[in-house]
Amino acid sequence: MIIKILGGGCPRCEKLEQVARLAAAEAGIEAEFIKVKKMNEIMQYEILETPALVIDEQVKSFGRIPAKEEILGWLEDAK
Amino acid sequence: MIDTIINLLQHGLGSLASYLAAHVLLCLLPAFFIAGALVTMIPKAAITRYLGKNAPKWISYPAAALGGFVLAVCSCTIMPLFASIHKKGAGIGPAITFLFVGPAVNILAISFTGVQIGMDIALARVLLSIFFGILIGLLIAWIFKKDEAERQKGNNQLFAHKAAIPGKNTLFFVLLLAILITGTLQINLFQSELVTVPIQAPWANRVQVLLSRWIPSNPDLGIEGVSVHGLILIGLLVLIGASAVKGLSTVDESFNNWTYLTLILITITLLIASIKLPVIGNQIAIILTGRFLTETILMIALWIIAKQLFSESDLGSWLWETWRFVKQILPLLLAGVFAAGVVRGLIPANWIESIAGKNTLMANLIGVLFGVFMYFPTLVEVPIAQTFLSLGMHRGPLLAYLLADPELSIQSILITSSVIGKKKTFVYVILVTIFTTLAGLIFGYFIT
Repeated sequence: MIIKILGGGCPRCEKLEQVARLAAAEAGIEAEFIKVKKMNEIMQYEILETPALVIDEQVKSFGRIPAKEEILGWLEDAK
Repeated sequence: MIDTIINLLQHGLGSLASYLAAHVLLCLLPAFFIAGALVTMIPKAAITRYLGKNAPKWISYPAAALGGFVLAVCSCTIMPLFASIHKKGAGIGPAITFLFVGPAVNILAISFTGVQIGMDIALARVLLSIFFGILIGLLIAWIFKKDEAERQKGNNQLFAHKAAIPGKNTLFFVLLLAILITGTLQINLFQSELVTVPIQAPWANRVQVLLSRWIPSNPDLGIEGVSVHGLILIGLLVLIGASAVKGLSTVDESFNNWTYLTLILITITLLIASIKLPVIGNQIAIILTGRFLTETILMIALWIIAKQLFSESDLGSWLWETWRFVKQILPLLLAGVFAAGVVRGLIPANWIESIAGKNTLMANLIGVLFGVFMYFPTLVEVPIAQTFLSLGMHRGPLLAYLLADPELSIQSILITSSVIGKKKTFVYVILVTIFTTLAGLIFGYFIT
């Protein structure tokens, strides 16, 4: 599973990565985390705002930091 | 030599101290909370729904301008939204309007400008940014209309998502705004002295004399010096800072006792900032003002509404974002203010006056160019502008500087160019330079 965090490196992006890692650990999933920082790479995805969470090339959320439970749900779906 | 250094240090500290004075606190403290609320309480889709491909011009441009104000609180928000509006939404025109208005009408910058330099400049900053933002957007869309027609292919659902702002969020917002306005508006109602309680305090005079000696005030240079009132507030701010580190760093996960302590300290600080606390001989007079009364009522209302209508996790996200802004902006701001103070001592007074003392085309252009080429972190352009003002810069070129500075940093130009291409970016930069110079010129003419 590849989890991408889209964002220019501001505190919210760090926070999103933190929560996502916690969720992955809790779900017992070994995922590869990639941080996408370049704007033209970020804009390849359909988002309006950073930070954004992409799981296996599917945009799950953008512009907010989803709750850990939400992320757990997505991780389960993606398994 | 030592004298010079001490003099410069005093300039720096004096500058810093006046910025931590009551009237700035009453502006900055609420503004940070408002910024946090803008991020967490306004669903983006409430505005982006008006920025889709098929939105008519008379909706998309104003929406882009409003979006600039409401959505673009953080620079990390501006760029992706700009790129999306351009590529997948209403097109380059509204995207440019958004790009221009966003940094210009930043709530923190505007309220800070209003308090520190003057409401006239702050208001001008808002109105002219929106006006010229829409104008520049329309111009760019017109100049590049052939490119636009080719580009707009394909369909997507990004802007189709609709949302409305929940009523309770709007109410909360209005309350926060009211607290900000009450804190900063200089009208008789607020400045009226309702109750005066003199207290015997022989220490107060001695402290005041010491303060005046260490950090002398210099009205010519706009340095206010520190009063006993100011010292108390600075002490409170330090306490808030210490408590916030423990109480707000993970407030989005849970509230702890430090969180409550921080919030109580902030409330008390705001209220103490709203009173007058002059030292008269051997006494200190606690003067409760109209402002104090209004702020007290508003803060009680805020606490009640927060408790009753919002969940702890809502409030937690809000406070977390607010604290994030503080951590991001305040240290640089304090450093910038200190530096601006030192610089004030270094630049010969008539130098600025001779270059930009009158409202000429050249003076305005220089203001703009300085804003473009000198990079300052967010909000620092305000104390810098104040330094210029105190050194004799005319308000016209000052506005030109304040309009141009947040717009055109090397970094934002590079990113913009990666989104819309070098040619369009070049045209954008030229248009911004022309119009900010014009805006300053017109404003300067208007007020004299």
